[in-house]
Amino acid sequence: MFPSPQPRWHALPADAFAWREWDGEIVVFNQKTGSTHLLGDLAGEVFRHLVAADRGATVDALAAGLADDSVAPCDEAWTRSVAEVLSEFARLGLAQPDTP
Amino acid sequence: MIVADLSYRELEQRLAGPGLRLRTGPLVSLIRSRLPAVVRGISLLYAEYPTDDAGGFADFRVQVDRPRNLRRWLQPQAHFFSDGSVPFKPLPLDQAFPMLEWGLNWCVSSHCHQYLMFHAAVVEKSGRALILPAPPGSGKSTLCAGLVNRGWRLLSDELALIETGSGRVVPLPRPVSLKNASIDVIRVFAPGVAISRPVHDTAKGSVAHMRAPSDSVGRALETARPGWIVIPRYEAGLAAALIPLSRARGLMRMADNAFNYSVHGRGGYQVLAQIIDQCSCYEFGYGDLEEAAAVFNDLAA
Repeated sequence: MFPSPQPRWHALPADAFAWREWDGEIVVFNQKTGSTHLLGDLAGEVFRHLVAADRGATVDALAAGLADDSVAPCDEAWTRSVAEVLSEFARLGLAQPDTP
Repeated sequence: MIVADLSYRELEQRLAGPGLRLRTGPLVSLIRSRLPAVVRGISLLYAEYPTDDAGGFADFRVQVDRPRNLRRWLQPQAHFFSDGSVPFKPLPLDQAFPMLEWGLNWCVSSHCHQYLMFHAAVVEKSGRALILPAPPGSGKSTLCAGLVNRGWRLLSDELALIETGSGRVVPLPRPVSLKNASIDVIRVFAPGVAISRPVHDTAKGSVAHMRAPSDSVGRALETARPGWIVIPRYEAGLAAALIPLSRARGLMRMADNAFNYSVHGRGGYQVLAQIIDQCSCYEFGYGDLEEAAAVFNDLAA
């Protein structure tokens, strides 16, 4: 029996939001909710990676990529932080996982 | 023709009859009232505003009058009518003029969605607009009144209107609302300026209105490019100081004070981002108006 694959996370389609970056801070506008979000440091990095990942990315892949960029250890706590950011994105309607 | 071209009697008759067509910036309001307080307020505070007696389009048709019932005699009240509807509960009769001002603000913020609108005072110097977004009680209107008495042009003390095509600020120079201690602060700060008689015990405390400077009224169709976004905060005894704010946080503070940002959707965000690109953003604390005016005059120098 094989373990079920991790879902791949996707940013919303490009026409569903708009975003800008000023001095490293990212502000995202969600067209569907009409809400504007100022992302914290980690959330901004996760968002940037997600937008660049055409085919989406798993939590593990995002955590590894972000750890490489930030020279942070890609340990369990780090991966959990990335997963929490993605959950928050899902709640805000900024990203969603593949449906199994 | 301006309002001051009418005699007081003619102003009364026009307000009681066909209405006074009053132009404030890009907007025309047709105002009707039989109430002496409203006639006095308009005569004092709108003397230099354009008016005409020709029929034609008015953005808003408003009326402030007493109801035709027993209330006329028992605890008399004023009602605000907008295009025939009554959007607010009545207020005590002595609040009739502030009610007209609040009602006109409501008309603009509820209907003028051709603009991106923010709850902010705006003043201008050398072609650049200083936008002061803040909730009530932050000292925004007091600061605005102070600056327009120290060389800045009044665009609005309450509503920043942004043209969505150009991202420029559209003036709406109406009387500046002063509350409570601010009334005497401005009387001392600018002794010659016309201020209406205070009305007490309103929902906002004591309220009076300061006449907009002549130059601001005369240049009411001259838009301005956003230059600074400053979040003001009055605190007694605080030394006046500008504290830099990141552009991203400046955008969020503007969004927090928007009236119709979500109505404009992505386009509204893009216009706001365009404004942020052009602006320096700050938080500003102050406890003394003269000090505050000096800080902003240095900023604009």
